[in-house]
Amino acid sequence: MFAKLAIRNVRRQIGNYLIYFITVSLTVALMFAVNNALFNQQVLAIANAMSEFQAGLIAITVLVSLIVAFVLGYATSFMLKLRKREFGTYLILGMTRRNILRIFILETCFLMFAALGTGIVLGLGVSQGLTAIIANLMETEFSFGSYSLKGCLLTVGLVTGLFLLSSGTSALYLSRVRIYNLLHVHKKSDKQIKYPLLWLILAAISLAGIVCACILFAHTIGDMSDNAGFILFITLVLLAVSIVLFHVSIAKSVVNLLLKSNRIKNHGTNAFTLRRLSAQMNANALLAGALSFLLSFAVIGANVSFTQQQSNRERLDREYPFDIRAEYAADTTHPISFDEAETLINTYVSVKNRLDYNIYTNGSSYLHGFTPWSGEGYELLKDSFISQSDFNRLYGSIGIGSVDTKNGFFIAYDRDRVENCDFSSAVLRSGEETFPFHGYIPNCPNIGQRFFLAIVPDRFVAGLPVLDYGIAFRLDDKRYNANALRTDLSYTVQAGQYTIERCDFNIREYHRLQFNASNAVFVVSALYIATVFVFLAMAILALKTLSGISDDKKHYDVLFRLGANKQEQNNTLFKQIFFFFFLPFALPILLSIPTGIICRKILAFSGFAQTALRIPIVTTVIALIITAVYALYFTATYLIAKRNVIKP
Amino acid sequence: MQTILRVKNVTKHYGGGSVVTKALDGISLDICEKEFVAVMGASGSGKSSLLNVIATIDRVSSGEILLDGQNLCEMRENELSAFRRDKLGFVFQDYNLLDTLTIGENIVLPLNLQRKSVEETERKLHNVATELGIADQLHKFPNELSGGQRQRAACARAIITSPSLVLADEPTGALDSKNSKLLLKTFQLMNEALGTTILMVTHDAVVGSYASRVLFLKDGKIWSELIRGERTGKQMYNEILSVTAALGGDADVR
Repeated sequence: MFAKLAIRNVRRQIGNYLIYFITVSLTVALMFAVNNALFNQQVLAIANAMSEFQAGLIAITVLVSLIVAFVLGYATSFMLKLRKREFGTYLILGMTRRNILRIFILETCFLMFAALGTGIVLGLGVSQGLTAIIANLMETEFSFGSYSLKGCLLTVGLVTGLFLLSSGTSALYLSRVRIYNLLHVHKKSDKQIKYPLLWLILAAISLAGIVCACILFAHTIGDMSDNAGFILFITLVLLAVSIVLFHVSIAKSVVNLLLKSNRIKNHGTNAFTLRRLSAQMNANALLAGALSFLLSFAVIGANVSFTQQQSNRERLDREYPFDIRAEYAADTTHPISFDEAETLINTYVSVKNRLDYNIYTNGSSYLHGFTPWSGEGYELLKDSFISQSDFNRLYGSIGIGSVDTKNGFFIAYDRDRVENCDFSSAVLRSGEETFPFHGYIPNCPNIGQRFFLAIVPDRFVAGLPVLDYGIAFRLDDKRYNANALRTDLSYTVQAGQYTIERCDFNIREYHRLQFNASNAVFVVSALYIATVFVFLAMAILALKTLSGISDDKKHYDVLFRLGANKQEQNNTLFKQIFFFFFLPFALPILLSIPTGIICRKILAFSGFAQTALRIPIVTTVIALIITAVYALYFTATYLIAKRNVIKP
Repeated sequence: MQTILRVKNVTKHYGGGSVVTKALDGISLDICEKEFVAVMGASGSGKSSLLNVIATIDRVSSGEILLDGQNLCEMRENELSAFRRDKLGFVFQDYNLLDTLTIGENIVLPLNLQRKSVEETERKLHNVATELGIADQLHKFPNELSGGQRQRAACARAIITSPSLVLADEPTGALDSKNSKLLLKTFQLMNEALGTTILMVTHDAVVGSYASRVLFLKDGKIWSELIRGERTGKQMYNEILSVTAALGGDADVR
């Protein structure tokens, strides 16, 4: 009998449960996809660095599970409150609390199994999509893979746990609540906001706070001083506080100010709409702020993750321009000689070209004297030189044009701060001969652990001691097991009681895989969190709206009787729901603009001007996707409300 | 006096197939301008069905209803909305004031729906609120007022558009006897001083005794009619009790 009653209740409450069901199903689908990725053999085989990837995703899954637990708990208790009177009536009719608990838990179980089943079915598709994204981020071939039983069991376990937790909380409430409190649901009356103008001023101040935070953030990124990290932290706190405060103050000001204007209020159903909005917004001001914060996080996270991905790709070209490169200090011995290394490399991939070069020093810090890296604390820094012929052979192989020193010298660097140093009066001497400064070679990638490198004529270095022996390999253009090669080129050293593994060779392919793994972690995590946040924020708004359906039904019935036609009622309901949804959604979408500008600035500042041009497209796509999810939830909520509220 | 409402041979059936309930069974009646008519009868006699079809919130099965010469049965949904808005006023048992709107906003809502100017709206609100003694309650919310005050606000909302007919469905049903009396005085004021035509459904013989004419319904038909004429309130009350007793006795006696 109880099962029958529970099934009937679910069918009867289908309107309210639908949004809940959609949200839980989509969240389960995402959880399933991520959990599947955690244990998917195909994904695990992609990179050796997957331990980092897996650990990152597990942390994200735990975080998302906590947030989902909160929302599920909220949604379940919301369903319970919506039906207080019904449960009170059951108790009056003689049902025991145990009976009611059984009905409620049965209903929750039906819903859980349905959402879990639907979510897993959806997750089968989402999982392949996620694997394809990860494969794309890692630049590997994607093929439809099998599913992980462990991932599936983890999803079932997590979702069941979350449902049990939320049902347990509701069950605890039901077992303790008094019948009187169930039957007499006290409605809160709408309180007049006393000082809407003051709230409006606060809204303006918090908006100024948001603008200031964006400007300060953009400015700090361009000026990375010692306390930049602290300023960035303060900026983010200012942004978070301002976002929440802005929504609270807007909720308490705009509608109430509009209500003060008789011309606006006394027109059609405006008074009705504004009062409903006022009641909803006052009651949910803080919630709107919190949801807006979540949505802003989703927007910013998604944008930053893509910027990071683009930035990492560019970093690879800058920091690892050679397929394999190493520099050995001349005064130390190394366990793997360059010849041995070449032999080892050839076992993995053919070496096309071997470029040997030397870095020289004259033991002086003369050139450092033209930079900030001189004087106290920098005594050990000595000037480094490379001969023109070595430089042209080495950097000519990666497309940096050849240099003609013309009896002078050039300064090569890859740090912008060198650009501000004035070497114009610098003159190098070798015997009787002098070599004046001729210019800079900017953006010269990977000049080693140096601030700059002086390119000098070959005769200048003749007789100078070698500081470092260097080698660069160009390899055949094919994939190889870079992780295994790195292991082969590594050796261990004892540092006190610790044994450290070292590798003196910079292997571009290995770092590409590392970057790809961290990109995948960052992008997938940010997108995962962003998607879940968007779904949950929209679900809460939808549930909040639908919880007022029974009240709305009565109110719209009065409108109907007073002569409001169907179109007027539809328009009124549309405005009422649209503006309630719009409040926490508008600012995060608008924040896409400064976020895009800042991301572009970050890339431009890092020297990736071309990549920076792609940011507006990425930002627009992210904003459009979030808007599409918003439109989906809004439309579903409006149609359900319309079906229930407006008389056919 | 001019006939405002004409109900001609109206029937209303509920259900279908073998289970058909006849709520109204060929009712015909006329209501003239400035009349105060009460409809009484036992539960299930068809009072509410009659009120609903006149209020255009339900359709008749057959027959005609004409208000101000317009046949309600031939109107489309949008026309009916406009008709309700312009020609009818409502007073319900449970007030049906919108709890999110202030009393003033509730009262002017029909004028807002008519897109009247702010000046006209303000003027009419002031007049009607003063007439009904609720001018100092306009900025309060419904739950801040007593039942009687709320029902007076509902009356103000019903008459602010100067409708052809005010329909009242058990208006004293949620009030105590003191507030019932005050409300009925308000109805008399609306009827006599403001010239409002009222059709009221009630169980209560005391309430019925305030009307100028009382129609008694039984099994969906008009069973009897009582016209006040020169009778006093007390005499009218006694007559109602007599008819109700003959009808089967379902009137509340307070």
